[in-house]
Amino acid sequence: MNDTAAVFDNAEQGSSLWHDAWIRLSKNKLAVFGGGVLLFMIVVALLTPWIAPYSYETQNLDLGATPPSAAHWLGTDIFGRDLLTQIMYGGRISLAVGFIATAVALLIGVTWGAIAGYVGGRVDAVMMRLVDILYALPFMIFIVLLMVVFGRNILLLFLAIGAVEWLTMARIMRSQVQSLRQQEFVEAAVSVGLSPAAIIRKHVVPNALGPIIVYTTLTIPSVMLLEAFLSFLGLGIQPPATSWGLLISYGAETMEEYPWLLIFPGCALTLTLFSLNFLGDGLRDALDVRGSKD
Amino acid sequence: MLRFLIIRILQALPVIFVVISATFFLVRSAPGGPFDQEKVVIPEVKKALEAQYRLDLPLHEQYFAYLGDLAQGDLGPSFKYPGRSVNEILFSGLPVTAELGLYALMIALVIGMTAGVFASLKPNTAQDYVPMSLAMIGICMPSFLLGPLLVLIFGIGLDWLPITGWGDIPGDKILPSITLGSAYAAYIARLSRAGMLEILSQDYIRTARAKGLPEWRVVTQHALRGGLIPVIAFLGPAFAGLLAGSFVVETIFQIPGLGRFYVQAAFNRDYTMILGTTVFLSTLIVFFNLVSDVVAAWLNPRLRDQFKAGAGS
Amino acid sequence: MALLDVNNLSVSFVTRNGTNKAVDNVSFSVEARQITAIIGESGSGKSVSCYAMLGLVPSPPGRIDGGTARFQGQDLLALSEAELRAIRGRDIAMIFQDPMTCLNPFMKIGDQLIEPLTLHKGLAKNAARERAVALLDEVGIRDPQAAVNAYPHEFSGGMRQRVMIAMALINEPKLLIADEPTTALDVTIQAQILKLIAELQTKRDIGVLFISHDLAVVSDIADNIVVMEQGKVVETGTPADIFERAQHPYTQKLLSAIPSGQKSTGAQQAEPLIRINQLKTWFTPTGNATPVKAVDDVTLEIHRGEVLGLVGESGSGKSTLGRSILRLVPITGGSIDFDGTSLSSLSGNSLKQFRHRMQMIFQDPYASLNPRMTVYDTLAEPLLLHGLVRKADLDQSIRELMDNVGLARNFVRKYPHEFSGGQRQRIAIGRALATRPEFIVADEPVSALDVTIQAQILDLLADLTKEYGLTMLFISHDLAVIRQIADRIAVMYHGKLVEQGATTEVFNAPREAYTQSLLAAIPGVHAA
Repeated sequence: MNDTAAVFDNAEQGSSLWHDAWIRLSKNKLAVFGGGVLLFMIVVALLTPWIAPYSYETQNLDLGATPPSAAHWLGTDIFGRDLLTQIMYGGRISLAVGFIATAVALLIGVTWGAIAGYVGGRVDAVMMRLVDILYALPFMIFIVLLMVVFGRNILLLFLAIGAVEWLTMARIMRSQVQSLRQQEFVEAAVSVGLSPAAIIRKHVVPNALGPIIVYTTLTIPSVMLLEAFLSFLGLGIQPPATSWGLLISYGAETMEEYPWLLIFPGCALTLTLFSLNFLGDGLRDALDVRGSKD
Repeated sequence: MLRFLIIRILQALPVIFVVISATFFLVRSAPGGPFDQEKVVIPEVKKALEAQYRLDLPLHEQYFAYLGDLAQGDLGPSFKYPGRSVNEILFSGLPVTAELGLYALMIALVIGMTAGVFASLKPNTAQDYVPMSLAMIGICMPSFLLGPLLVLIFGIGLDWLPITGWGDIPGDKILPSITLGSAYAAYIARLSRAGMLEILSQDYIRTARAKGLPEWRVVTQHALRGGLIPVIAFLGPAFAGLLAGSFVVETIFQIPGLGRFYVQAAFNRDYTMILGTTVFLSTLIVFFNLVSDVVAAWLNPRLRDQFKAGAGS
Repeated sequence: MALLDVNNLSVSFVTRNGTNKAVDNVSFSVEARQITAIIGESGSGKSVSCYAMLGLVPSPPGRIDGGTARFQGQDLLALSEAELRAIRGRDIAMIFQDPMTCLNPFMKIGDQLIEPLTLHKGLAKNAARERAVALLDEVGIRDPQAAVNAYPHEFSGGMRQRVMIAMALINEPKLLIADEPTTALDVTIQAQILKLIAELQTKRDIGVLFISHDLAVVSDIADNIVVMEQGKVVETGTPADIFERAQHPYTQKLLSAIPSGQKSTGAQQAEPLIRINQLKTWFTPTGNATPVKAVDDVTLEIHRGEVLGLVGESGSGKSTLGRSILRLVPITGGSIDFDGTSLSSLSGNSLKQFRHRMQMIFQDPYASLNPRMTVYDTLAEPLLLHGLVRKADLDQSIRELMDNVGLARNFVRKYPHEFSGGQRQRIAIGRALATRPEFIVADEPVSALDVTIQAQILDLLADLTKEYGLTMLFISHDLAVIRQIADRIAVMYHGKLVEQGATTEVFNAPREAYTQSLLAAIPGVHAA
């Protein structure tokens, strides 16, 4: 009875499913590449005010638009502003919109879906009926409308985009929770006597995280595209702020004479979207396999 | 099956109603009126115009009057272009956008399904990686980037294709259609691939092979039916997306279609135009979602019977 | 010359994790007009051998390393894909295990049936349809004319398997390969299908290669038995050879794993621990007017210290009854009494307090364990929740539990997916025992396990029941298992209790017609 401390000393370390998934993910070269690029973009965006070569407002009207050179690695725009700096600051906004709007959608969607999925019955029917109706609304049109009518408030932009994306998140969470609820280990937890709150916390949520993580990673690029789309139409981010979408729209206007103004912001956006998608795909593959059944 | 259809239609009606009402009140609650930006208008003229546009009535009366007009298919007069009705402008742009959408959809379906099915036959080989990498590019490069790039390369650089207009110069429909269709080709390629992979791993495919069927027949007779259902279901949302995409494509290529009118109306604060176009486009989208849902359900014999038995949705 | 002669066949699977030799120098033969059975557990290579012969194993990662498979003189392994395809479905036909997934849900039955005909014999559609109808009739499908235009989902599992058989035989093949054709079917349906296969085999003079894990099932119909273990053939012989004179230790292990014998009913019956009175558990799916009466007016007593075997086929309501007693599903009517307390009227906190006295063991050992919790966490949870041990003694208690269920102690920090099925079930049993319950519902606890593992777990359960003085409701569709472990039996059919009584009585003198048909369907005349 005295060896309680040493009872499990020889225990072998288990390999959790997260651990397995991590190993699988790290073997996926595309996903690792995507993750790396994304990390780089985020770090640059966070450090921009300190590492940008020029200040954001510096104009040089005499210079005008120039192609890439030693002084300006990516060239300058028609106001003589350094394009690299513009892209860095634009990235801050584009990435911020992407992450924040997704976070909003995640919060609302996951909570909504979890409640609907776990409680079931009438509550579920009502909650999901609402989702169905909202889902059928043509959101693109509404967002354009909102932006027109209420002015181009960046906060409103976040909310509008978040309001579109939470629906799918809710559906995914609900279907996850529903299918988990019927799993036998949840029944076992009920039989052991755990309270519903404890069951959700310990048994349901950890097992529902997989698809949620994947979907979140894939929502971010979707949101960034939406912001770029709106900014391109002139309905999104407004000057003096800038975003990649805005930069692309300026570039498109003058692309005949100054193609670099279109190409570089375009590359930045496309590269980031690539990374997020590769990472998301990789996560999906890594998290999908649940380990062997006998 | 009929019952299922009717149920779905009845479910769609409240949605359309919500759309109309929400749009109406949204637009009306916008700050400023249509004439505020214009040059100074003499008070009497302003009153007359307001009467014409019913702006002098209380809001709820405007609402019901609008609904009444809608029921008769009248979307009202345009603010920006007095003398022209919204219906007129809409229907002048509709055929153009419809044609653009149709070509884009055809490109998306043909290229997408072929690429996706092709890739699914030999997963994790070059036959798979190449089409799917191209598809990834299609997803990550938005139309407003692809369009200008294509214009730069093919229009300006190589000077092979015209870069503006629609129907004016032969070949001016090519670039816009490709631009609009590419993203959807990419989505459809990924969807078909995933759908086919799922089906090809099913037991009944093994049964088909055990019967001695050649592989091409296994794919066409047995696998395609189930594998392409996700694509059919996607068509509804794809339609909505194509419509939104047309906003951008028509702006870039200066095509006189609905999308461009809508964007312009948005900037010009042409309220009846905004309202009318929104209502029209939304109804169209809801309708298309309905059709795609119904067709996708109908293709699955199990669901078909379930709905025949009247077990709701 | 044998119809099929397989010699030194070897097949490997090459994956990122290494090369696995699935079939290792396997030889067996099938004579014309005879049924040869291949017996093995999972991983024995029994299915892979047959699929490889027909070219149905995907070629990466599968690889045929060597050997020959002579069918009517021709070596199948040396044929081209086109030549093999000509044989598949025409001279050699296959039927598979799961009738629910083996038919194309998007195609009509008739269209699927005529495919082999139009493909191999070039028959016109109409002529082919007539043949299809005739064959459906032969396999026992009622109203074959209507059936031809129906979809698979309109048929039950047994009927679909008949359709599969019809589809296989439509081209009059010389050899029929049946891969676990009855494993997914209910016992009574299984008996029917086995009878059908045997009849058709004699009538049409074909050879049958019957793959199974169940020695009892094949002992009734096979002329020749081949036993495989881990990719190798360990023994062959007639059923008499195998059952009476088994040489190889693995064969003997398989034989001893067949549940046998009858539990000697103990002394007088103790007083009832659980009284169930007119219990009703009905489900009403949304949108439907008619409820599904899963448990319909069941009155039953379970006596202290006994093992009550609850028997029924799928849809009988036996699982629902077990879950109803444990209050895992809402009860629609009737009452349940546990040791004098009305269990059916408890709720909320009082129910929670009660729960440690009754626990459940589930069928699927993987699904019943939280994949993200270690063995330690899973076993600790009930202990901590009901305050049964102090934190300091937790390790000790867990160690005892693991010892009791036969789990090596140093596995305590591992996750469910790192264990085999049998080990997972031991963890689940440990969890059920943690709260020292008086009553345990075991819902098909061994049905998902290999035969040899089954025997181990059954022994474990029998021992633990005695040691802990447990009362157990043992739910199963497998009568042989029930006979071995249960004191009394209750038979359920379509939600109703059909018959109950002491095991010996029910088995020797069943009163009800349904019970009689159930007992008659038990395979394995030789095994008893």
